[in-house]
Amino acid sequence: MQYAMVIDLNKCVGCHACTIACKAEWDVPADKGRNWVKRLGPAQTPEGLASTYYPGLCNHCDSPACVPVCPADPIQKTFKDARTGKTTTLEVAATYKEPFNGTVQVDKERCLGCGECASACPYGARYVNENQINEELGSDGTIDKCTYCMPRVNAGLDPACVQTCLAGARIFGDITDPNSEVSRYKKMGAKNLSSTAVNIGSNGYYYANKRDDSLLRSTSTPTVMASVNHRRQLLARMKPMMNKAKNLGMLGLVGAVAVKGMSDDKE
Amino acid sequence: MAFKVTRRKFLQTASIAAASVPLSKVATAKAGVAKSPFTAPGSFAETKTAVGGICEMCFWRCQLVGKIRDNKLVKLEGNPKSIDNGTSICARGNSGIKLLYDPDRLKYPMKNVGERGKPKWKRISWKEALDECGDKLNAAVKKYSARTIAMFPHGSSAKYPMHYFEHTVGTPNVSEASFFQCRGVRDYSWLSTIGTGPGENVDMANAKVIFGLGCHFGENVHVSHAKRYLKGLENGAKLVIVDPRFSASAAKADIWVKIKPGTDTAFVLGIMNYMVANGKYNKKFVEDHGVGFAEFKDAIKDWSLAKTAKECDVPEAQIKEVAELLGANAPNVSVHPGRFSSWHGNDFHRGRSLACLAGMLGAFGVPGGFVKGKGPKGFGKVKWPAGHEHHKALHREAGIFLQSPAGTPTDLIRDCAISGKPYPIKACVIWGQNPMQTIPKQENTIKMLKQMDFVMCVDVMPTDITMYADILLPESSYLERFDYIKKGTQWDFSDKHQQFVSARMPMVRADFERRDQVYIVNELAKRMGHEKAIPVQTVEDMVDAMLKPAGLSIKKLIAEDGIHLQPGKDPYGVKEDFEVQFFNEELVEEGYAGAPTYVAVPDVPKGYMRLLSGRSPLHTFNRTQNNVWLNAGMPENPVWVNDKIASKMGIKSGDRVTMVNSEGIKSSSTSHALVTPGIREDCVFMAHGFGSKNPAMSVGKGAGMDDQELCSILVVDPETGCSGMRNNFVKLIKA
Repeated sequence: MQYAMVIDLNKCVGCHACTIACKAEWDVPADKGRNWVKRLGPAQTPEGLASTYYPGLCNHCDSPACVPVCPADPIQKTFKDARTGKTTTLEVAATYKEPFNGTVQVDKERCLGCGECASACPYGARYVNENQINEELGSDGTIDKCTYCMPRVNAGLDPACVQTCLAGARIFGDITDPNSEVSRYKKMGAKNLSSTAVNIGSNGYYYANKRDDSLLRSTSTPTVMASVNHRRQLLARMKPMMNKAKNLGMLGLVGAVAVKGMSDDKE
Repeated sequence: MAFKVTRRKFLQTASIAAASVPLSKVATAKAGVAKSPFTAPGSFAETKTAVGGICEMCFWRCQLVGKIRDNKLVKLEGNPKSIDNGTSICARGNSGIKLLYDPDRLKYPMKNVGERGKPKWKRISWKEALDECGDKLNAAVKKYSARTIAMFPHGSSAKYPMHYFEHTVGTPNVSEASFFQCRGVRDYSWLSTIGTGPGENVDMANAKVIFGLGCHFGENVHVSHAKRYLKGLENGAKLVIVDPRFSASAAKADIWVKIKPGTDTAFVLGIMNYMVANGKYNKKFVEDHGVGFAEFKDAIKDWSLAKTAKECDVPEAQIKEVAELLGANAPNVSVHPGRFSSWHGNDFHRGRSLACLAGMLGAFGVPGGFVKGKGPKGFGKVKWPAGHEHHKALHREAGIFLQSPAGTPTDLIRDCAISGKPYPIKACVIWGQNPMQTIPKQENTIKMLKQMDFVMCVDVMPTDITMYADILLPESSYLERFDYIKKGTQWDFSDKHQQFVSARMPMVRADFERRDQVYIVNELAKRMGHEKAIPVQTVEDMVDAMLKPAGLSIKKLIAEDGIHLQPGKDPYGVKEDFEVQFFNEELVEEGYAGAPTYVAVPDVPKGYMRLLSGRSPLHTFNRTQNNVWLNAGMPENPVWVNDKIASKMGIKSGDRVTMVNSEGIKSSSTSHALVTPGIREDCVFMAHGFGSKNPAMSVGKGAGMDDQELCSILVVDPETGCSGMRNNFVKLIKA
């Protein structure tokens, strides 16, 4: 099973209900977003004058760029298939790909807030929520992003953005089920936003007429994969330890300065 | 609820403030709820659901449910029982909790101890505030007469006070922005053509063609209306959008007619004349229901394709294409009446021409045509009785604006107040309206207010107009009060016919000292010698009085999850005596043209562009400017400017710009440019309602540009007295 989201741009009117329902549902800070709507154009395309929208969110990729860069210490985590009850145990860091439904999730308790995964995501689908500071880990915040509303879905509800969409433009379901609505759209030609450089199996699909499709893809397809900042990863990994040391007063003057220096090191 | 935080801090933590739940509490909540203090629990977990909400982030009134945790509303959703909006609500609807808990909201009655326009606020008690309002209004009425009171209402909570001042106190000087600066001209032009106001009652869901003139569905979002439009498109309707701008609807259109602003009536006349000349209209319908068709044909006969093309600056072939498409799909055509129609001061004829076009197509009472749903009937009315003062409205006395909507055309009130002629207007009651941003020529509005003996405002937010109040009263928001009932039918007439009844009910208690409209007006009435006229004691009584004759009550509605459903009726068909007045003799008797007639608007002066304005799906004019979520979604209104013009000026998308109009008025704020081929070269466009000036609006102040500030040339529709707001010309300046 792999959850996926199709956006039908022939229906979308760019009203932003999806972005705000998400903010309300998940206490997203006003100036941040787990999802977004960008108005595109009006601009000339080879297919004619076009104006459409880029409603974006985490694409819960098949090979997510965010997962391998997470510097948190891996742990053994047991996952359970919501449908079959089957379990499996994997070694995961603080962000991981769920083995049964294919969603990419964040273990917020263990997130160091370093933002490396956010930098790694070519779609810009993650942000650091500075309201959620894990003092124990000495973090500057906690990573937040779209979860495909798994807690709602598990409770038998639609994702908040899907529920509120007045246009019925957001279609959510299992892309591995050939009879699902998302698969039907895929067969009709819905495509994800991928390029030669960014081809990581995004599960976010867009369906549009030719001119809108042209505008969307020419403006909104990511073309660069971020390079990993090993220094920041290293610092993030050291931070809980250093912080603990600082709190316990085990560091001398030099150590305290070093810790302070690290805290200020925001790129 | 106190907010002792800085604005920046508030913005950062706004979402938490709304939920207002200590994180520790979530962490210790029962199993099933998120255990982590870093994971929000979700609106569905451990919340109570309140029913009976009706939205008023705009005026479409979608039915809501509210999710409540620890007595705080954490999320609004569409009521799953709704056959109108369903579980959907728009961005503004979703942002209602940010209005509810906006720290800038009015909290207590306030007295202005500074001056009008530069207020210094002193908190006073309700008793003191009401006493002063009563005394000052009494003094004005005693010195002059009831007509010395001017009233500017807006929104459903303003109805009860409006009826009080109009009927019981007896002033005709009431100006509703929703009429004179918005829909009035549409309503009365259709009324004089088909005998009823049109609303937006077109069956787009079942249309073969949707014809929208200036309609920008998508930018203008009303949920069930948008559903009709999108369903129509999904069902294969062809979409024709006539607009100088490549709007959200034009982007979905099969035919975009890039018309020269102000020439819309000529365009419709050209189409109709082509249909007449080529016999491509619904002759049977016109014979059965048309009045004055011969005179009408004669009156429009000069509008050849060539002449129309020249006037409207669109290709002849395109006019023909549209006419052919409409004719071929008659009668299943949605000729959309529009909504905001106060454009150019020649709007009555545009409305008439659209209604006549629908008549020629026979697009009434048929799938896809103009069809009014058959909603539930038999409700009670709550009315203020007539008092002893009766005054003729200014326009009735002068014998002008004979097709005017109810109330008095705004400029007449304002001019009368400023000049003192024919009589003094010395007291002003402003209720939910923000005339600074609804009425063109702000300078005159300020003059009007400054000469008043007394100004009172009732609102939920410190809008710009509230800076001119002597007494400012805080009203309960739509989430905290009872209010009028909302009724209707399912939006898609091809679905099972159903009717619904709902009434606005509070989802949470009003905080601070906010009070509802019935309390405030009744207290004023007691102080103004009208105690015996009070029709209901509480707002709850008002709603029950309306519901009772239909066998319903608040209690019953709550028991039915906020919405009462009952079987509906087939809305299709036209009555035998239904008439389309192609040529209206009554108008001729009043001295107006009997047939829809094109009146040219002034050309754009050299070096200027026409200023156009419209809607954004994220804001309801100025009312939502201070909402942190909506502000984050659309912090300002981009200025659409044609790419060729921009290139000559060296302006790129994103550049800071401001504007000065042809009368030398410069915008007091700035915005950014949106450079695009999707707008004509002779105009610029921006969404209406931005650029608030009141520092008490800490989010909305100075955000974007106020189009109304740049509307200083007054144009008034001669039939209705409605304002024309697209006859101002601007230069773009790099800021």
